[in-house]
Amino acid sequence: MKKRIGSLLLSTTMLLGVLAGCSSEAGTKTTEADVKESVATTSTNLEAEKTLESNQSQSTSAGTKEATITFWHSMGGVNGEAIQFLVDKFNEENTNGITVLAEYQGSYDDAINKLKSAQIGNMGADLVQIYDIGTRFMIDSGWVVPMQELIDADSYDITQIEPNIAAYYTIDNKLYSMPFNSSTPILYYNKAIFDKAGITSIPTSFSEIESISSQLMKEGGASEAIALGIYGWFFEQFICKQQLNYVNNDNGRSDAATSVEFDFNGGALNIVKAWKALAEKGYAPNVGRGGDNAITEFSAGKAAMTLGSTASLKQILTDVDGAFEVGTAYFPKIKDTDKGGVSIGGGSLWALNNQDDAKKMATWEFIKFLVSPQSQAYWNAQTGYFPITTKAQEEQVFKDNIEKYPQFMTAIDQLHDSSPSCAGALLSVFPEARQIVETEIENMINGLHNEEEAVAKMATDINRAIEEYNLLNYE
Amino acid sequence: MMKNRIVKFFAPYTYLVPSLLIFGIFLFFPFFKTIYLSLYKTNKMGQAKLFVGLGNYMELFQSKSFYNSIVVTIIFVLISVCVSMLIGLLAAMLCNKSLPGIRFFSTAYALPMAIASSSAAIVFKIMLNPSVGIMNKLLRLNVNWINDPKYALICVALLTAWLNSGINFLYFSAGLSNIDETIYERASVDGANEWQKFRRLTLPGLSPILFYTLVVNIIQAFQSFGQVKILTQGGPGESTNLIVYSIYRDAFFNFRFGSAAAQSVLLFIIIMTLTLLMFRLEKRGVSY
Repeated sequence: MKKRIGSLLLSTTMLLGVLAGCSSEAGTKTTEADVKESVATTSTNLEAEKTLESNQSQSTSAGTKEATITFWHSMGGVNGEAIQFLVDKFNEENTNGITVLAEYQGSYDDAINKLKSAQIGNMGADLVQIYDIGTRFMIDSGWVVPMQELIDADSYDITQIEPNIAAYYTIDNKLYSMPFNSSTPILYYNKAIFDKAGITSIPTSFSEIESISSQLMKEGGASEAIALGIYGWFFEQFICKQQLNYVNNDNGRSDAATSVEFDFNGGALNIVKAWKALAEKGYAPNVGRGGDNAITEFSAGKAAMTLGSTASLKQILTDVDGAFEVGTAYFPKIKDTDKGGVSIGGGSLWALNNQDDAKKMATWEFIKFLVSPQSQAYWNAQTGYFPITTKAQEEQVFKDNIEKYPQFMTAIDQLHDSSPSCAGALLSVFPEARQIVETEIENMINGLHNEEEAVAKMATDINRAIEEYNLLNYE
Repeated sequence: MMKNRIVKFFAPYTYLVPSLLIFGIFLFFPFFKTIYLSLYKTNKMGQAKLFVGLGNYMELFQSKSFYNSIVVTIIFVLISVCVSMLIGLLAAMLCNKSLPGIRFFSTAYALPMAIASSSAAIVFKIMLNPSVGIMNKLLRLNVNWINDPKYALICVALLTAWLNSGINFLYFSAGLSNIDETIYERASVDGANEWQKFRRLTLPGLSPILFYTLVVNIIQAFQSFGQVKILTQGGPGESTNLIVYSIYRDAFFNFRFGSAAAQSVLLFIIIMTLTLLMFRLEKRGVSY
């Protein structure tokens, strides 16, 4: 009996842990971040002292004071190395005694969530890289110094920035964040399979894809015509291609959106119908969420085509390793009559307001360095992201890179053929909305809903999320 | 005299203070904070903003997605607990014989215990990939393991079962070595076959440890997270959206702490009831 009571007690404690475990993360998240931050600041101070010492002999000529700033980014792997290279280069070259500490924060989602937690404790980075769909959230947050302020204060020539990229981050004629790693989606195709099937014209729309699919599979030997990853970003791009709005209030640009528009403007239905048609006929089987699996299928030579970010070009070429020739083309339209362009994805740099002018100036100096033609040409060559500065295309590094990877030119042309009016939507609950879209497309392909039900479900779920967000966050 | 008495009365409590403090900070405070948050809707910073009473709970009870999570979780728990206990028990019985090199096998069977769930999930993700994964190559199949709602949940559950089998093996091994060898000899003399020995001697002898393992396994299975996060992210559709994953999504992705807290409370109630039920049943099945 005694044993029984003992084990009962033990299990109850464990049980309690279930509940506590769930919330302790919520409760202690702030403190965790605080601790991390304070560790970061101590090391920051140490670093600052170091630079102070080393700079005493150099004597700072410019007016800017020595400062140490923290830069949060979400670039892992090769991209992370490229960013660290740029940071080190800046730390070495700048004559103002600025030290930048680059800290990798995990995925884009992780970074924005860490920022939310850190900001509750009123601590954070000075510069943070945030993904495209976090834009509305960042503007609303009130934590940021709009990039336009820094640009105006320095009379920086903004025409150097690619206008179609800047358009995404411009709201009320104000550039809120500095584009940094931008990409667009393109169509990749396997030239060997196309040659074998005897197809010479590259499809530009879903209906064209559908008409050549069986030929690609029967004669070209592809086990699937197109590896179509279920990725909310593609859905948004298809809406842009149709020149329709995702949400109301001018796609969330004139004011915060209050509901989606893709349900009654017909955009979503066109997309899911075309998607379902390809899936049903076995041309585009379910390859899972996100873009990664689809790219694996394509690189393995199983799929004749795939959709993917321009930033995946290098990875695809490395994986394929000369097994077949990789071609690139514009991101496909839904209907042949669609006339829109593509918007961008990727990330941009947000300056955070830490009430410290020295740090603000240091941050701006660092941003200017990152978007300079030299840095951007290097960045483009290393990662496959766009050079966001037009002048970067005159750099030798860029020219060499294009010669090596002529496929990249597709991405540049596609962006230039687009227009700032195709900038895409802004929405506070975009991460959640994207998740909802992916879930419903997945359910539809798996036969749980038909096309109309899928669109209706997307609209209801996203509208509910928007409504609740607006109720709680705008007074 | 009086002072002595007071000291005597309070001394035991002061010894309890350190552990109570730790429990208070890491268990009781978050526990009550969760209940508090479950009555509010939170803003984008996760701060309680709007009191809604039982509103969050009402919304959950009307939400198909929540019922789906419960059903999925129950199936998941059933599969993973049964399979992991079975593997653990079988392995422990096999290793209970003294053979040369048995140490090697014991270590091998206990090894899953040492593997982090997320790293195992990453390895499985590569193995289960439909076009380049080893699973389809070996079985000569073309199954889309983790993107097909028919298989996704089973894959995640079996991975969990294998991960938990290590610790179960350890428990069962300890339990088996506690059973007196001589009773088997006596049973053999009486002419009992292997099944009878297992049914009449091993199982009753193991029953206390079996019961403990069952309770712990169920609680653990309800809390599985890493596998789902890495392997399926709750998909395809919502076919692997376990409650804990759904809590995570609501709290740290949608920043809707109120709803997440309400789900935590409900999960707590579910596990609590289950555990109490099991202790009821224990009276009948377990002999100490």
